[in-house]
Amino acid sequence: MDEISADSFNIRDYLRLELFPHFLCPGCGHGIALRALLWAIHELGIDKNDLAIVSGIGCSGRTGAYIDANTFHVTHGRPLAFATGLALARPDLEVVVITGDGDCLAIGGNHLIHACRRNLNLTCMMLNNEVYGMTGGQASPTTSATRYTTTTQSGSIEPVFDACALAAAAGAGFVGREVTIQTPALKNLLRDAIAHKGFSFVEVLSDCTEIFGRKNDLGESPEMIMTQKSTMRPASYGVVGGNIVDEPFRATNLKTGILTRTDRPEYGAAYRAHAAGIRAARKS
Amino acid sequence: MDMAQKVSAETAPGTTPGATPDTTNVLIVGVGGQGVIMVSRVMARIGQLQGFDVKQSEVHGMAKRGGVVFSHVRFGPTVWSPTIPRGKADILLALEWAEGLRWLNYLKKGSGTFIADTRHIVPPFACLDRTRGAKLGYLAEPPGVVLDQVADGYALDATALASALGNHRVSNTVLLGTLSVVIGFAPEIWQKAIAEMVPPRTVEVNLKAFEAGRRWAAAARENPESAREHTLRKPAVLPELEARDFELRITPEWCKGCDICVKMCPERCLSLNALNIVELTEPDRCTGCRICEWLCPDFAIDVIKTLPETASR
Amino acid sequence: MPSQSTARDLQGNQACALGAVAAGCRFYAGYPITPSSEIAETMSVEMPRAGGVFVQMEDEIASLGAVLGASMGGAKAMTATSGPGFSLKQEHIGYGAGAEIPCVIVNVMRGGPSTGLPTRPSQGDIMQSRWGTHGDHSVIVLAPASVPEIFSETIRAFALSERLRLPVIVLYDEVIGHLVETVEIPAPGTVEVADRKWATGAAESFQPYAVTDDLVPPMARPGDGYRTHTTGLTHLESGFPTQEPECVERITRRISGKLVHHRELIESYEAAGCEDAEIVVCAIGISARAARRAVNAARAQGIKAGLFRPITLWPFPESAFKSATASARTIIVAELNAGQLVLEIERLCGGARQVESIARVDGEPIEPAEIEAKIRELSSHG
Repeated sequence: MDEISADSFNIRDYLRLELFPHFLCPGCGHGIALRALLWAIHELGIDKNDLAIVSGIGCSGRTGAYIDANTFHVTHGRPLAFATGLALARPDLEVVVITGDGDCLAIGGNHLIHACRRNLNLTCMMLNNEVYGMTGGQASPTTSATRYTTTTQSGSIEPVFDACALAAAAGAGFVGREVTIQTPALKNLLRDAIAHKGFSFVEVLSDCTEIFGRKNDLGESPEMIMTQKSTMRPASYGVVGGNIVDEPFRATNLKTGILTRTDRPEYGAAYRAHAAGIRAARKS
Repeated sequence: MDMAQKVSAETAPGTTPGATPDTTNVLIVGVGGQGVIMVSRVMARIGQLQGFDVKQSEVHGMAKRGGVVFSHVRFGPTVWSPTIPRGKADILLALEWAEGLRWLNYLKKGSGTFIADTRHIVPPFACLDRTRGAKLGYLAEPPGVVLDQVADGYALDATALASALGNHRVSNTVLLGTLSVVIGFAPEIWQKAIAEMVPPRTVEVNLKAFEAGRRWAAAARENPESAREHTLRKPAVLPELEARDFELRITPEWCKGCDICVKMCPERCLSLNALNIVELTEPDRCTGCRICEWLCPDFAIDVIKTLPETASR
Repeated sequence: MPSQSTARDLQGNQACALGAVAAGCRFYAGYPITPSSEIAETMSVEMPRAGGVFVQMEDEIASLGAVLGASMGGAKAMTATSGPGFSLKQEHIGYGAGAEIPCVIVNVMRGGPSTGLPTRPSQGDIMQSRWGTHGDHSVIVLAPASVPEIFSETIRAFALSERLRLPVIVLYDEVIGHLVETVEIPAPGTVEVADRKWATGAAESFQPYAVTDDLVPPMARPGDGYRTHTTGLTHLESGFPTQEPECVERITRRISGKLVHHRELIESYEAAGCEDAEIVVCAIGISARAARRAVNAARAQGIKAGLFRPITLWPFPESAFKSATASARTIIVAELNAGQLVLEIERLCGGARQVESIARVDGEPIEPAEIEAKIRELSSHG
């Protein structure tokens, strides 16, 4: 599957070429995630005219503009709110949200848990690079303990969110996590997430090399991306044996792939059936 | 104008009562992460060490992301305004070539000095504008053309000088070395200010970088023609491929030199050239495995396979 | 289905919801807040019946976010709120203005600041409704003063929003929001439903923010093949961000120019007895109703008094106000706040007329007698 779709997949068919090279820093993992997303779209055969990308503010949010689709770059933290309106008004569109750890978990945290609860047919790709890159490298809700940022100059001591555990607990129909170095696996995860009828949450562990990596001596881009692979462990990060552990991100165990998949009713279809029932009852 | 004379110790505060305030304006520009702020703090500190009134004001965003990073440093007997008006900068120091061009209109006509690293960090909006034929086109003005427009100019590949010292990030200090020759003041004062401002473990390499920049500028003053020798970025030439069932296509203008593909290639067939752009240096070894394509954050590599008829779905 | 109009006794908030349905609104997102909740409650019944969507969002910010999202998808969409929620919605009002997304926001005003007086009337959001979001922006604010007018102005709000691609705010106080009056509801299908200009022609050359004769660019509907980019960043005609000073100025001027260019379409007001008036009372909403009675009473006593009531509050109907007050010596501004509308009136009078303020901040509406007494006082002084 990978082999064949990779051969027929020309990423340029899905990009606004006139905007390139893109604005991301050298080695930024967001570009790799963007490729995986477009590859998944290609594999699913989604017409880009019917694809709507809704993105928030930050490095993650700016990636949406490069996609040759209907792209909406909205306010900080609110892409899920916009996407909820868009998907309810236009169930014919395939709506994908691109957001970041700060956008989605801090300022947009309320919208995330309610999008999970509602289980509307949306895909939310959260690019987690542990930092607010666009604003110059401040700590985010996923900045691992001990990490240095411009607002944690002697190392972070705040506990982190396990975004996937949060999304699953709030009721998301599909939850998964992947690292950028496993591009085909990330593509598969995103493909399954988009195909899933309901709210799909995908956390992508992406590298911020220029700001976060440099400040934390994590090496240059190749070193950072290779570390993703060497520290992969088949367990859960954030929660080990029922206890929340606040260890540095890369040193803890990571479970990747599909973490939760349920067949809870999709909200949009449920709403439309409910409304049709109301109309039918009025006629009779 | 000889800047070394202009702000020499004789014009220090109090020595020339009633004289017109003589302010030196240094505008420092660059892109995010290059060290514009460090350079401006060194400059401001030197102003203070010389007993001048100093004003420094800065904007730091991420120029690479379409924002602007610049810092105004003004020093003299008495300085009131913190910002330099357009056309009033005595010195424009650009850590990045396009940023230098962007701010050129701030330089004093007829007397200003232009100092710039010739290295290109292509800002996306410069590139955007280039495709639309707007005036900010990146490669429109080669160094020679720019130097001809200014009263005094220094265009050097500071990044190359810094890399030769083992750390490309000290290119800003190389430019400080050049600036020190233009402005004057004793080298010891510059060294003191640099040592104060840089991380302790990088003091040594920064001082070496400062020296390299000084030496280059001194030589350039001796022989102005040598200052106009510079390396222009040329488009990378695509290697010729033999007829195979796949082709590795590089888009050099999209490559940002992050090195991921080079390090992740199992066959070690890619490398970065002198311009920090990826090249397929060992085409025979390439298997078309696509790892470079998948992991390139900039979509600068495409592995294009000829699809056999039977493989189509 | 009735083929003729029907008279119904409606509460102001219900009339607002039914006006929205008649105007073609098919998406409502909201969050409970007193004293506007009846709008959401009515829409929760009406939207599924009309084939539209009602969704109760997790907060005030999300409500307008969802409305903007639905409108980007092509739906006519509305939300309603009151003071604290209106404050929370301000960033998204700015997004609607900057990205030029049609939407209608109803603000049923209550006492403030902060939680303030949830069940008491106020007109304290007169300035916030115009200047609440950051940066230069264009919005229209309509200020109905009766239940039938809430119905008709809500319809007009959709028409203006769709035609001019900007947020339109329907602003009224708690008193008329909860007032019950008889409204003549037009027969279904008889209300002209305004639709925005949709993009037509070749997708390749389409510029989503092109400068058109009427300064309102046609909008691309997702799925129609245009694949445009919408952003809250200052953008070029192409839709992509810019920081070039001349482009920024051009775009900003076009967007604010929409209000000037379409002034005649936008402006609406009532001027009663102003032709020969020496004293003109200027007020909106419930205060205008008190003012009308006071003006009539003053007229009965031989005082030349008039009423000027901006129905379009912002942009303020300047030239209409100036001609209505041509003969006036004194303007009395009656409002339920510490003095907001009076600032605009003072600006328009430029010191040429005496401007007096009746500013009530105790959570009670202004009574006709208060205004009448003021008219008499100022008249006897003349």
